Amino acid sequence: MTVSGRTKIAVLLVLVSVLLAASCKKKVAVAPTPPPPLPPAAPPPPAPTITLRAQPATIDRGQAATLQWEARNAANVQIEPGLGAVAATGNRAVNPPASVTYTAKATGPGGEATDTARVTVNIPPPPPPPTPPRPPITPVVRMDDLFPQNVLDVFFDYDKADIRSDAMSQLQKNAAFLRQNGNVRFTIEGHCDERGSAEYNLGLGDRRANAAKEFLVQQGIQASRINVISYGEEKPVCREQNEDCYMRNRRAHFTYNP
Amino acid sequence: MKRLLILGLTIVLLICSRGLYARVAGVERGLKPATTGTVQQSQIDIGINKGILGVKIAVPEFQPAATDEKTAALTTLFNQVLWNDLEYSGVLTLVSRSFYPLGKFVNPGDITVDNWTAPAVDAQFISFGSIRVDGGRFSAEARLWDLKNPQNREVKPPSALYRTEDSEDGARLAAHRFADGIIEAIGGGLKGIARTKIAFVSDRSGSKEIYVMDYDGNGVHPLTSYKSITLTPAWSPDGEKIAFTTYRSGKPDIEILSRVDLRPYTFQRAGGTTTTPAWSPDGGKIAFATSRDGSDMEIYVADWNGRNMRRLTVNKAVDISPAWNPKTGNQIAFVSNRDGTPQLYIMDAEGTNVQRIIEDGGSVSNPAWSPDGQRIAFQWQKSRTSYFDIYMYDLATGKYVQLTRDAGDNERPTWSPDGRHLAFESTRRGASHIYSMLANGEGEARQLTQTGKNTAPAWSGYIDN
Repeated sequence: MTVSGRTKIAVLLVLVSVLLAASCKKKVAVAPTPPPPLPPAAPPPPAPTITLRAQPATIDRGQAATLQWEARNAANVQIEPGLGAVAATGNRAVNPPASVTYTAKATGPGGEATDTARVTVNIPPPPPPPTPPRPPITPVVRMDDLFPQNVLDVFFDYDKADIRSDAMSQLQKNAAFLRQNGNVRFTIEGHCDERGSAEYNLGLGDRRANAAKEFLVQQGIQASRINVISYGEEKPVCREQNEDCYMRNRRAHFTYNP
Repeated sequence: MKRLLILGLTIVLLICSRGLYARVAGVERGLKPATTGTVQQSQIDIGINKGILGVKIAVPEFQPAATDEKTAALTTLFNQVLWNDLEYSGVLTLVSRSFYPLGKFVNPGDITVDNWTAPAVDAQFISFGSIRVDGGRFSAEARLWDLKNPQNREVKPPSALYRTEDSEDGARLAAHRFADGIIEAIGGGLKGIARTKIAFVSDRSGSKEIYVMDYDGNGVHPLTSYKSITLTPAWSPDGEKIAFTTYRSGKPDIEILSRVDLRPYTFQRAGGTTTTPAWSPDGGKIAFATSRDGSDMEIYVADWNGRNMRRLTVNKAVDISPAWNPKTGNQIAFVSNRDGTPQLYIMDAEGTNVQRIIEDGGSVSNPAWSPDGQRIAFQWQKSRTSYFDIYMYDLATGKYVQLTRDAGDNERPTWSPDGRHLAFESTRRGASHIYSMLANGEGEARQLTQTGKNTAPAWSGYIDN
């Protein structure tokens, strides 16, 4: 582009600006209405007045105070916060949760006036912080893990469903845990070794599970928390044919029901 | 000369088997010898051997009517099944084929009676015929002749044309029908059991399910596929339904399925541990054991849909495994440990008149009442270190005999409907399998299952098909 080209554009821009300015000026000239003529002189209306009082000015939290106001020469009276438009004179019970300054504003032909009243609310000292509940034994460990660590199998003699003395002390430990975890529901499985017929063992396993249940109920565990099932000889933990293995299979086993 | 020798040997064997029949239970695996006092062990006549020496039958092979491979194969199968059915019946003596005249025996004209009644064979009856396989059908033209009755040669039934489908199952079924007909005609008056079935529990699929097989171990098919624990099958007397115990909804409970179309029938839930269903002989009721209302198992009876449950036993003990007297329906045998260890008791079907019937200690389970109501088979472990064996108690005499010995655990006897056989489970060859034997314990037991661990056989009643 040449110098003369730039000059031409500059001139053009100036011209456009002038034209725009001219059109703008023209609009402004049209828009304003002429000022209204002043009303004929008259006596000025009286200026409004308002008074606002709070009684009592200091309350305890939860108690009420009474706001009382009186306005003159006002067409409109507002009290904030909370009351909004009100009559020229009146009173109203208020129950602020915390200290607050009420403002009453009277508006009338003669102008406006305001008054304020403060209600001071005494907040009682906070109660001492509650002693924190005893933390659960290990709050991060889930009951799924906790239960089998704390509620252990008890074992039975051959062809018996009587609670042996070693089983009694284990059941007492189980009961202690179950009392501490009072919402835990669980199943007692009765199991047998493989000797004896499979059918009879279903019955024997049922007796074993129910014997363990009865013991726990005597220890204060609600029967409604306990489900009982017999597996007879169907679910051995050990499959060898020797007394050590048989011994481990003759058991009441506890499982957590989430 | 050779034939005479074989004949002599046969006679010796027959005499020996009679001797075995009369034998008394002996010493048990190095434990205490049979004790004295209340022990009453001796022979019980269960009527199985009736006719063993009397009715001799020759069973020459049926001949194929065509030379194609399929006809030949199905004819061979038919011949095997027919022979096994007749031999296994326990009421006929099958003359060994090595004594038969040479030739093929298809039509009446092929039979020279004198050849079959001569001393070498000495048969009273002969069965023979031919097999045709065409048009999708298997046909056996089968005859049974009474060789000693010239006026009335052909025994009818069972002489008939047996038609089934042209498959192995069809060939088996035709052979079973003919065999059953022969047994019914000449076997002492009882129906044959060749078409009966046995339900059992097997873990062959990985979980314990109920299966059904023919009485000879063929034709196995699953009844349940629950992938749970399913136990204790029991047939309705009509052979249509099977009740059993399953854990599939959590607690062991009784369910009922149709054997025919696997349709389920409702059995009202009892609660607790509920197991060991047993049908009454009229099929209208089921006795079972449940812990529904307390801390131990009791015997209950209900309509077969589970309604109108009634408690029969009241005892702080395990009461389980009810078995009806199938003849009268008014007694129930069951197992209870009310005296400390599991023992055998019987009571009236209303729960009254309870009496213990085996007084010799040990551990007793799984009573099975014979079809004629006169005997109860059961399993008994005489001491904690011994195996279970099958025994049989005779109600009339109060005596019992031992039927199995020296062969692992032998448990859960179940009667064939003719009362001549028992099926049971045994660990005699390692893993538990289903076997059957004559109800007097004689002879070799037949192993009916081959794969997995198989338990709890239940023999059906007669099934007509």
